[in-house]
Amino acid sequence: MPTALRMGTPGSSAAVVACRELSAGYRGTPVLEEISFEIREPAIYVVLGPNGAGKTTLFRTLAGILNPYHGAVTIDGRSIEEQATKDRLHFLSHIDGLPDGLRVVEALRLYGTVEGADEEDVERVLGLLEIEPLRRRFVSELSAGQKKRVAIARIFLRERDVYLLDEPTANLDPKVAGEIRDLILRRSRDRIVLYSSHNLFEAREIGTYVLALNSGRLTLFRRISEMTPAKYVVGIRVVAGEENLPSSIKKGDYFLYELPGPEAVAGLLKELEGKGVQVREVKEMGNPLEDLFAT
Amino acid sequence: MAPVGSSQRKLPSLMRVTLRRGAVAGRFYLVIGVVVSLILAIVLLRTAHATTEFASVFPLEIPLFASLGAMGGLLLFVNDRSKGVLEYFISYGVRPQTLYVNSLLVTVSLSSIVLGSALAVGLAAYIATGNPLTSGLENSLLGYTIPMTYASALFASICGIIWSALSTPRTGVNSPVGLAPVLGIAPPILVLVVAEAVDKAAYYDVTVGASLGFLALVVLLLVASSRLMDRERYLSPM
Repeated sequence: MPTALRMGTPGSSAAVVACRELSAGYRGTPVLEEISFEIREPAIYVVLGPNGAGKTTLFRTLAGILNPYHGAVTIDGRSIEEQATKDRLHFLSHIDGLPDGLRVVEALRLYGTVEGADEEDVERVLGLLEIEPLRRRFVSELSAGQKKRVAIARIFLRERDVYLLDEPTANLDPKVAGEIRDLILRRSRDRIVLYSSHNLFEAREIGTYVLALNSGRLTLFRRISEMTPAKYVVGIRVVAGEENLPSSIKKGDYFLYELPGPEAVAGLLKELEGKGVQVREVKEMGNPLEDLFAT
Repeated sequence: MAPVGSSQRKLPSLMRVTLRRGAVAGRFYLVIGVVVSLILAIVLLRTAHATTEFASVFPLEIPLFASLGAMGGLLLFVNDRSKGVLEYFISYGVRPQTLYVNSLLVTVSLSSIVLGSALAVGLAAYIATGNPLTSGLENSLLGYTIPMTYASALFASICGIIWSALSTPRTGVNSPVGLAPVLGIAPPILVLVVAEAVDKAAYYDVTVGASLGFLALVVLLLVASSRLMDRERYLSPM
């Protein structure tokens, strides 16, 4: 049995999500193999991995939608198959899951009925996600971004201890994606949120922990703040003296410089100042999560 | 804050909303099934030998249109599956078998609408135009039309659901959904052709025998389908 990875200390949410030797897949072919971990601390756990790594399969198995071939998922020691356990989590699929033939408000009422929410909850989430103007529109008439907002509204109908969010900000414009992230961040203060994304900068911005999947196996489970990039790269944005800069790669408005570490930044700035370069901004460009995908 | 789901909660029935959504999803098929079966009844009553024509053809043709009109159950299941709606229901704790049975109940309900309207309007018009309600017609309706209607509608739905759940997703007329109406109308058409060919004395035995035999086959298919439709068949292929 692989050693179970344990993360965090119990917080205000009493939930402990545990996966033990989990193998799952489709039509007899395993996609996930021997996944074991235990989550205790309320936080956002970003699930990363290349396409086909098993992220969606992991979420489906954690949500009790897909039966594992082997192993078990528990919340506070109780099987995910129990109704009381299912009632403690919310699952957001990477596809919208909105029923055709219904208006937005009717779709939310339908899901609200199943999960025990009332009309007041429906009205609240219409306001919370700013989809009130869409309430009478048929789901089939909505754009991809609008559908995503309605789908996300569903997970705010009732509070849960555990949230499984599979690419919640995909298809959203940056402004709305930021608003959704803020909502999820607020919720994660006392909840466990598993959040998959292909956006490494988003993952670094909101995640406390990272779970990396590769070829169906859990290859990393760490606190993101403890991870350091293999290369320390800073971006320099200048006001004047661009022609005097040492040779570098340009990325957007930033000239990139690879340094031995943060302690070398002061020396670089002094050197640039000596060459008559007026620096507007210095920014750390490296993302330790990028190293997870480095070949 | 206490966990929301700390006490055991009974999930509500989704039958009513599933029925409404199934009727909306298959509304064009439903309208076609109802309207064409009524037109057929009127056409038969305007023939020269209305009494015999109506009594021999009308009971055989209702299942054909009723199975067509009941496509809403299949369409809803396939739509909900591909769009991930079924996954959400399962994540809430709804049993996959309940979702499957609900779709079949929608099929039964929609075929009942076509059957009921065709029988009510067709027979009312038949009697109102001075034709006698013979025991032969009654027996055909009870022994063939009603069981064959439900058997052919369920056959199309069950085959379409299993086929779409087991195969690679594809759209258009070659998809399981595109071909399911053909599966539904094929058995009644076959019986219609055979009944025309056999001796009049054997008409009742052939039609009722075919109907009950086919119904038994559909019941067996229903039992077998519960084995084929394990949980992963309800997940979106996307």
